[in-house]
Amino acid sequence: MVKERKFLKGPRLRDVSTYEFPGLKKALSLGPDRIIQQISDARLLGRGGAGFPTGTKWDLALQQQGERKYMICNADEGEPGTFKDRYLLEERPLKVLEGLMIGAYAVGATQGYIYIRGEYSEPIKIVREILEDAREEGILGEDIFGSGFDFDIKLVRGAGAYVCGDETSLINSIEGKRGISRIKPPYPIQEGLYGHPTVVNNVESLACAAEIIKQGAGEFAALGTDNSRGTKLISLSGDINISEVFEIEFGSCTLSEIIENLGGGVRRGRDPKFVIPGGLSTAALLPEELDCTYTYEGIESAGSSLGSGAIIVVGESRDLVDILLKVSRFYMDETCGTCFPCREGNKQINYMLSQHRNKKFSGQEVELIEDIGEVIAAAARCGLGQTSLSLINSIFNKFPEELIEEVIHVD
Amino acid sequence: MLELENEIFLEMVHNIQETYGYVPEREINQLAEKFDQPRAKIYGAIKFYSMFYTEPTGKYVIRICDSLSCHLNDSHDLLLAVENFLGLKNGETSPDQLFTLEVVECLGHCGEGPVMMVNDKMYTELSKGRALEILKECQ
Ligand SMILES: Cc1cc2nc3c(=O)[nH]c(=O)nc-3n(C[C@H](O)[C@H](O)[C@H](O)COP(=O)(O)O)c2cc1C
Ligand code: SF4
Ligand code: FES
Repeated sequence: MVKERKFLKGPRLRDVSTYEFPGLKKALSLGPDRIIQQISDARLLGRGGAGFPTGTKWDLALQQQGERKYMICNADEGEPGTFKDRYLLEERPLKVLEGLMIGAYAVGATQGYIYIRGEYSEPIKIVREILEDAREEGILGEDIFGSGFDFDIKLVRGAGAYVCGDETSLINSIEGKRGISRIKPPYPIQEGLYGHPTVVNNVESLACAAEIIKQGAGEFAALGTDNSRGTKLISLSGDINISEVFEIEFGSCTLSEIIENLGGGVRRGRDPKFVIPGGLSTAALLPEELDCTYTYEGIESAGSSLGSGAIIVVGESRDLVDILLKVSRFYMDETCGTCFPCREGNKQINYMLSQHRNKKFSGQEVELIEDIGEVIAAAARCGLGQTSLSLINSIFNKFPEELIEEVIHVD
Repeated sequence: MLELENEIFLEMVHNIQETYGYVPEREINQLAEKFDQPRAKIYGAIKFYSMFYTEPTGKYVIRICDSLSCHLNDSHDLLLAVENFLGLKNGETSPDQLFTLEVVECLGHCGEGPVMMVNDKMYTELSKGRALEILKECQ
């Protein structure tokens, strides 16, 4: 029986006046190098989807010379099926704040930002109050806890553009520009917000950092597997009986156990048709592929990826074209339009799919879709274009009988 | 470009929209002056964001998520019922300027679908009946 392992989850934590900020106080006594050592020892990987080691990111930022550095919390959560950052912002926002402050102190940033998607009106209200209270209590401002560390945070509301979750789009967005991705390098660590070195971290990564400093790197690193340390918040949704945010220790269970034990099984049926293990940018897995352990490497070996931790279950009776259309519409709606193939290709694919309401696809059409996908990915400046066809292609590959006229063997 | 570090452009536009319900042209002109940018650039930045409006919307902006997880929770039926009730399609505003209807992508409540936002209030696990009741209360 799979059980949750609560490293991040816990009782509601929103009252600044009674919170002791244990992680931050400890961090201030450790100093930047030892904080970064702890985060590196814990082997925390960024939880925003790309999985970059947080310790390395902070270390690179610390090494950067610059009169000013920025630390940004990415709370633009918007990939369909993902709602775990909202859980943290609503229930454990002080941990997120604490993680942001620890990171800022470690890398030498004096100004922070929390960028929350504009539709998250409740989290916005909560975070706004917390920032005000923290300023009043002297937890933000000058000489924090008598350490000589000065730091303040601005709340920025997004305004309905999923692509602003990409860190360079997010930086452009804070600068008041269209939220389009930047060409890298330079990376934000080198030249980010207003041209200064900038660290962008996901909400969950920051909450992890706060807990790692408080509970110790050993505590975190002891959880999980060699390549996937600690715990992960997962958002379960779709054709499943219990749709919630769960926290599981990496490697403690398989995808199918998550669905059966935590999710209470597939809704109206026994087996799913397929499962999307990490949000709309990750390949679908068939029921027989769900025995992989829930780790970065486990899901990769099954042919997909862990992404943002959004597990979407699709039930047996679902119409595939209907699903394909939803997926492609998302990419068509959310492309920022900078790279021509991403802008036009995703539109074309949506059009092609919409012509097939009750009609199978020819082998040529499927090839064309794959080709367009390759071109989009090759020309893509950001992750949206790089992965916009991953799920759609995987559905064609896994359900040829249902979708393709005469099965041709594409291996 | 729009580099006034103490003034966050997005926040200013949100505040303008909270005051007027949309971003009127004279405010765009003022932003252009303030940031010392051509109007087209300011306009282009505002138009990039789907939550900003440069024309008046209905008093109530109704957003229904029809992304995948909500779709699996029958958001399409909810959408049809609301479309029918309001006599509006995606992107339209009623002649009496009471409602604007928008079909949107994920709102981050994927476990509680179908969901509908009325301005900044979120309603989850909605039956069609309950959704229409909420809309009637707006009338
Ligand atoms: C289209 C797109 C959307 C993204 N959306 C988010 C998001 O909502 N939240 C997030 O933390 N990272 C998002 N990312 C990843 C960020 O670019 C970045 O990798 C992340 O914020 C870094 O934080 P981490 O190292 O703590 O994971 C997105 C990336 C792309 C390409
Ligand atoms: S890949 Fe797509 S979303 Fe990303 S920058 Fe290019 S056009 Fe924009
Ligand atoms: S899919 Fe509708 S709220 Fe996320």
